Amino acid sequence: MTFQEIVLELQSFWSKQGCAVVHPYDLEKGAGTFNPATFFGALTAAPARFAYIEPCRRPTDGRYGENPNRLGKYYQFQVIMKPVPAGITDTYQKSLKAIGLDPKKHDLRWIEDDWESPTLGASGVGWEVWLDGMEITQFTYFQQMGSMPLSPISVELTYGLERIAMYLQKKDSVYDLDYGGGLTYGDIHKPQERELSRYSFETADVALLSRHFNEWETEGGRLAALGDPLPAYDCVVRTSHLFNTLDARGAISVTERAQYIGRIRGLARKVMELYIEKNTPK
Amino acid sequence: MKPPKKTDFLLDIHTEPFPARFVPPALDQLKLNAQKWLEGKIEHGEIETSGTMRHLILTVKGIAAKGSDKSERFKGPKEGAPALAVEGFARKYGLSPADLVASEGILYAEVHSKGEPAAALFAAMIPELMKSLQFPKFMTWEETGFKFGRPLRAITAILGDKVVPVSLAGIKSGRSVYGHPVLAKAPSILKDISKHAAILRQGLVLSDPAQRRAYLLKALEQATKSTGGKTEADEALIDETVFMVEHPVPVLGKLRDSHMKLPAELLKLVMKKQLKFFPVVTKDGLLHPFFVGVRDGLSSGNELVREGYQRVLEARFNDAAFFVGRDSATTLESQLPKLERVTYQKALGSMSQKAARVEELAAWIGERLRQTAPVDEQAVRRASKLVYADLVTDVVKEFPELQGHMGGVYARKDGESEKVALAIEQFYYPVAAKSPAPATAEAAVVSLAGKLDSLAGCFAAGLIPTGSADPFALRRPALGLIRIVLEKQLPLDLDEAVARALSLQPVAVPEPAKLAATLSDFIWGRAQSLFEDMKYAVDEVRSVRAGALKNFPNAFLRLAALRAVRRDPSFEPLAAAFKRASNILKQAKSGDGVACDRALLRDQADYDLYDALVAAEGAANDRIVRGDFEGGLKSLVGVKPHLDTFFDKVMVMVEDESLKSQRIALLSKLVRAFRRVADLSEIQTAAS
Repeated sequence: MTFQEIVLELQSFWSKQGCAVVHPYDLEKGAGTFNPATFFGALTAAPARFAYIEPCRRPTDGRYGENPNRLGKYYQFQVIMKPVPAGITDTYQKSLKAIGLDPKKHDLRWIEDDWESPTLGASGVGWEVWLDGMEITQFTYFQQMGSMPLSPISVELTYGLERIAMYLQKKDSVYDLDYGGGLTYGDIHKPQERELSRYSFETADVALLSRHFNEWETEGGRLAALGDPLPAYDCVVRTSHLFNTLDARGAISVTERAQYIGRIRGLARKVMELYIEKNTPK
Repeated sequence: MKPPKKTDFLLDIHTEPFPARFVPPALDQLKLNAQKWLEGKIEHGEIETSGTMRHLILTVKGIAAKGSDKSERFKGPKEGAPALAVEGFARKYGLSPADLVASEGILYAEVHSKGEPAAALFAAMIPELMKSLQFPKFMTWEETGFKFGRPLRAITAILGDKVVPVSLAGIKSGRSVYGHPVLAKAPSILKDISKHAAILRQGLVLSDPAQRRAYLLKALEQATKSTGGKTEADEALIDETVFMVEHPVPVLGKLRDSHMKLPAELLKLVMKKQLKFFPVVTKDGLLHPFFVGVRDGLSSGNELVREGYQRVLEARFNDAAFFVGRDSATTLESQLPKLERVTYQKALGSMSQKAARVEELAAWIGERLRQTAPVDEQAVRRASKLVYADLVTDVVKEFPELQGHMGGVYARKDGESEKVALAIEQFYYPVAAKSPAPATAEAAVVSLAGKLDSLAGCFAAGLIPTGSADPFALRRPALGLIRIVLEKQLPLDLDEAVARALSLQPVAVPEPAKLAATLSDFIWGRAQSLFEDMKYAVDEVRSVRAGALKNFPNAFLRLAALRAVRRDPSFEPLAAAFKRASNILKQAKSGDGVACDRALLRDQADYDLYDALVAAEGAANDRIVRGDFEGGLKSLVGVKPHLDTFFDKVMVMVEDESLKSQRIALLSKLVRAFRRVADLSEIQTAAS
């Protein structure tokens, strides 16, 4: 099964479970959770069922295309469902079968792993799902967002697509994966890994990034004050990625780190409160 | 007459997988809370629990058909009290005034209640029991907002042959029993509760933890037989595995030769911590090129699982090898500048600054020990310079548990001497209360310097632990500190070392002497608990406090001597007399200024005590300098009859100022002599 076939199978599977298959959000982000489908989807009482692939950037994880298992930019396949459908863990197991991983033939384990996003003030309870020792999915019941308890609860499933594909295709290097269309994953991504690693660790303009961080933070606050949470949220996503790049660049000290995170969280919280206020039936 | 019918009860709380650590405490609570709830409400037999990460199971045997009938008596007003009061009291218990019983002039209400049917009692118990369970972390997942450790999937609740109907978090109880989530077929219907464990076993769930553990251990042994080695004994990993799988099936895998070149501790850590695999070791405890992963499920079709395990492990090892390779391309020494960018603590500067302080302190300690316990000061200097360098290596950033260990590995690679490498490797020793202290004197000195600096730094920065709170985990280095000086027999003056370590901190301390005393007291607190663990009495420990940190190995000898001498029957009265002497000194508020002069004393009792004391001091000193504190203390105890006579025959607080001060000086001489071993006034005597 090629990389793109895995994505197509998952989309089709979750579409049959009643999910709207949406598309990646057009901003750089560190995790699929930042897609507004999940971020706002989890916030209010309205039902939410979405599935999507999301490119994620983790500048510190870049390895110049030299490490067969680590990437500074990779893909997540994300499912969010609210309220939580009965038997969701069983449904998840069926989705594995759909992509050629028959749980009966493997060792499927649920390892405690609670999720937390300090920048979003979000946390959840759940597991890493291990297939024969390899972490293939993060399975989380969201409990808080913006430091506020959520109700109803959403469940979030995040598939690690590259790992699953490496397992299915028995490849030791992510770059050797058969992507589909006659290309390898490396054909498409290796040059980007090399140059993005150089950018994150060596060439990124620290002064410019810091300035942009400040500016987008201010802009986010201004937009929130004007009562529009959606463009203000885009500013949250931007500051978060700017912070990640500054961090990889080694431009943030330990004490500054906490301050940066606090600033992003503060803005995210404002946006959340505004969104809830706007979208709660009076 | 028919014998009363007894029934059994079964509750199986089926959930999504709990973290392993949640289950044993939940099972304990389930049993205890059921016991408490049922007590006095209904007659029953044995209560037992068992379970897995997906099942919390409670059984109660021999339950009576009905709850216990109850008779209670409530005290009311006096006979002849106003009718309104009597009526009100009776009404409270559903009685009329005529139903009240009088006894010794007081009215009582007697209430008899019939026991409820067992089914009703158990239906009431289940939700209360489930709500009573305390988990390390709670969660909610459905609209009623019920809080539990993990989402509920089913409740099997049967009393005798009938379902006990309850509804909780949107789940209604029933008879369905759920086996392994992947391997078991559709749920089974439980008709006879004595078959519950057997049904689960058919569904590939071994529900009894003890049985599952025995099964795991045997299977591990069988799996490793062909290798000639065995899995490394690791109780924590075994305990965790028992509650991480419902049907343990070991799968043996092999390590690649190329990976065996990596440090063994690193390989083991990757296996155990990252993958929960059991490393295989030879009889001598050396790492064998095998591992065992424990699969949850079937023993057939393991080839695919083995392949998967090996692939994952290799990826992790490759990652580790990549880091080792990067680290090895450079030397520890050339890593040092990177420490400047690592903050240790806001007020205390960078790790580089901490390293410089530790280097200076280690050199100072080496110098202080030059006369009494000389160490290779050059090795100390070199090791203390490099000791934090491994913190910025890729391996330690990835596996912080390997701090120190990797430093040792890299030091050997860099061609540092074995003494230096070992001192770096064992810098953080002892890592746990019962684990070993550094092996060599050089390693001990460097390790002491690190611990002293950590303690002094936090104290100087105002991060002082209070009461039971220890947010910066300072007890551990304090305990490490005293264990090292004790076990390595280092006569280092810790009071002086504390003052020195404080003086090196980059923080202005307003009252350094006071802070040093506070820190010394904190360190002494750990010594106290160490001694108490060794079963020394609290008062004995207290009596060697003075000067203890100036020479801690001696403090321990003094303590042992005191305990040995305390067995002597004449000891207790001596301690009482000693206490009297110290009280007199306290009252007199005299310093130790006046030296006792025999010629200025007056009575025979004065002279006798003086002479006995001088002789005993001499004898005691001969023994104490040889380290024989017990012999020394025994010599001093010999003055007891003269001290008694002294107290009998003379007054200390006489009008004659010169005589008074001489007698005080005499007592003070006595107290000082004893204090070289122990301050007997701290001893709790039967009389005091």
